[in-house]
Amino acid sequence: MSTTLPTRGGAADLVSAAPLPSPSPSGKPSSEDRLHRRRGRIGLWFSMPWIVGFVLFYAAPMAASLWFSFTDFSLTSPDPMTFVGGDNWVRLFGDREVIDSALVTLKFGVLSLPLTILVPLGFAWLLTAKQLWGRSIFRTLFYMPSVIPFVAAVLVFNGVLNSQTGWANRALGAIGVPGPNWLNSEVWIYPTLTMIALWGVGNAMIIFIAGINSVPKDLYDAAEVDGASTWQQFRTITVPMISPVLFYNVVVALIGLFQYFLVPFVLKNGSGDPGGATFFYSMYFYRTLFRLQNMGYAATLAWMMFLVGLVVTGLLFWSARYWVHYEFGDQS
Amino acid sequence: MEIRWFVGLGAGGQPEQIAAQEAVVEAFNDSHDDIQILLEIVENDVAYDTLSTQIAGGNVPDIIGPVGRDGSNSYAGLYLDLEPLIDSTGYDISRFPAETVENFREPDGTLPGLPFASYPSSIFFNTELFDEAGLPYPPQEYGADGTAVYGEGTEYEGTWDFDKVAEIAAILAVDANGNDATSPDFDRSQTVQWGYINQWTTLMFAQGTHFGAGNPVADDGTADIPQAWEEEWAWYHDGIWNGGWAPSQEQFDSELLSGNPFSSGNVAMANTHLWYTCCVRDDDGNGLDFWDLAVMPSHNGTVTAKMHADTFRIMAATEHPDEAFEVLTYLLDDAALELLNAYGAAPADPGLTDAFFADLDTVFPQGVNWQVALDSASYTDVPSHEQNVPGWDEYKLAMADFESAQLSDPDMDIAAAIAELEQELSGIFAANAE
Repeated sequence: MSTTLPTRGGAADLVSAAPLPSPSPSGKPSSEDRLHRRRGRIGLWFSMPWIVGFVLFYAAPMAASLWFSFTDFSLTSPDPMTFVGGDNWVRLFGDREVIDSALVTLKFGVLSLPLTILVPLGFAWLLTAKQLWGRSIFRTLFYMPSVIPFVAAVLVFNGVLNSQTGWANRALGAIGVPGPNWLNSEVWIYPTLTMIALWGVGNAMIIFIAGINSVPKDLYDAAEVDGASTWQQFRTITVPMISPVLFYNVVVALIGLFQYFLVPFVLKNGSGDPGGATFFYSMYFYRTLFRLQNMGYAATLAWMMFLVGLVVTGLLFWSARYWVHYEFGDQS
Repeated sequence: MEIRWFVGLGAGGQPEQIAAQEAVVEAFNDSHDDIQILLEIVENDVAYDTLSTQIAGGNVPDIIGPVGRDGSNSYAGLYLDLEPLIDSTGYDISRFPAETVENFREPDGTLPGLPFASYPSSIFFNTELFDEAGLPYPPQEYGADGTAVYGEGTEYEGTWDFDKVAEIAAILAVDANGNDATSPDFDRSQTVQWGYINQWTTLMFAQGTHFGAGNPVADDGTADIPQAWEEEWAWYHDGIWNGGWAPSQEQFDSELLSGNPFSSGNVAMANTHLWYTCCVRDDDGNGLDFWDLAVMPSHNGTVTAKMHADTFRIMAATEHPDEAFEVLTYLLDDAALELLNAYGAAPADPGLTDAFFADLDTVFPQGVNWQVALDSASYTDVPSHEQNVPGWDEYKLAMADFESAQLSDPDMDIAAAIAELEQELSGIFAANAE
């Protein structure tokens, strides 16, 4: 049975698999060479809109922001921007709010990251079970939250989880359970944010379902013949076979964690309540940039976030060789 | 020659306001061949970023506004001193009360703004909730020394001060079981009606000024929170968490109060400014009829009715100061009434107030006692609670953080938090001192 698992170098493999033109014996470019170069130029022209867009809207702003991180650029200052060397970077390493906000991000990540991987994986596993009746209906239902604008959803959660008038606590109260202070307790805020995050795991779930469906069925047949239980099949066949998908979702979730902003911002308007528990690193960055309009220092904060994200993602890629399995061998 | 007028930092973005602004611009442009106003209207959400970007890019508009003192502070030092132009053109500013003109003067003696609109603060009270509780209405007249008397001739009679407000507010705060906040059975987690709030004026420097005006910057440049502010901050925190008559942040966010607490009908008294007439309305924009105005309570025998003021400002970077000043005076004079009506702003020019309040009476036919607002203007805060300080935006954020804790943390140690705040503010002032 032929299967297609996501690979890390799919497009590159296709390119490298194409036969390379050989030089003509005379040293002059052969017609094949010319055709190849012509195709290359045409390809470049076709790519040009993307390349221009990338340079204008990504590369140039990134280069500019790197430059800003060495300046005192402030939008509200009438004085011209001046070069301040590494002042912003020195400030960053001694900035208590950087440490505090990074710790907030870390604390939330420790709780939410595993759950935002495991829960959609669990859903995907359940929703691909042969025994499940009406799988399509359940998949649609589980995916449906993902099509709702997230800001609207967070505002609804803000009302539902209000400890005094929200439905959640009213429902708990109806069965005699006193509801917690979901949004204003330092103890409950991270579980609450995680719960909101889990509400929107439909995308990850769909990707997992696609991964699970691509696992060759004969592996399960063989395992059943050998007497493997469902859990053993999941652990020893499903997880290794979908590990590239797992890896992809972990990388996406990790990057999402570094960028985590929308939910606490909508719920708390950037205040960091309760007790600074929602003052994520991205919130500090937002405050520095848009409230204080300190472009120089905000650029430094952004670059630090990028560098940390790069290192962590790099470590993840390095670790992939130990736990990510590709059906056709090493795809790195 | 074009004079760019940037709108968006305050009022000016609503459809009817845009139409009014376009009309006054058209009228000016039709009557002037030499100067043409170019109107730039930016959504309020992005107005600061847009203006900041324009300033940073050297593309500075000539005139900005209407903008309040708070909004102006972000660009302090970038405005043109109007006094030389007033002197050279002989522009008459005597029609404005002298104190309102001086309110715009900076510590360095410059005058970068002139009065356009002013919004004194008062107590908006819900007549229906007072009737329901069988309580006398709050007073509507200041006494000779400013203080007023509440419930004259009744069992509640006493000086209309913030202690009396707390006492009355506790009677007006009611839980779902019908117990008011004076009852031992009152359950503050089930409150459905509150006695007193600061409506949309919660930043700590605003809130604290209810007990008295002050300057948070000491002579040596360090932070020193005025004693009156400290007392008010502790008083309000106590009202939320012990008295139960003021809502916490979570209660503000609840469906009972969310968005527009006083207009929900679930609040008996709201301390706010005259600009709130914009919004004491139902969902269709019709004026609500269950309210009236009362005078500001006193604290230690002193009444402070903090003031908000809007104006237009000429940017110092303008290449055409004379022409920009001509446009500015047009906005303050010929176009004033049309713009004030569109903005819902009270005129700083006393000559225009009658027309303004007559217009409001058509929206609020219950017969609001507007004289209260006019009288409150005599008790304005000096120095202004929005007086610029070094690092204004950082100062505001620090104050907002303190406010968040006050509204969310029942165990907040106000004295310790103030000591921490002073330390933080001292750092901000030092880092931004010129």
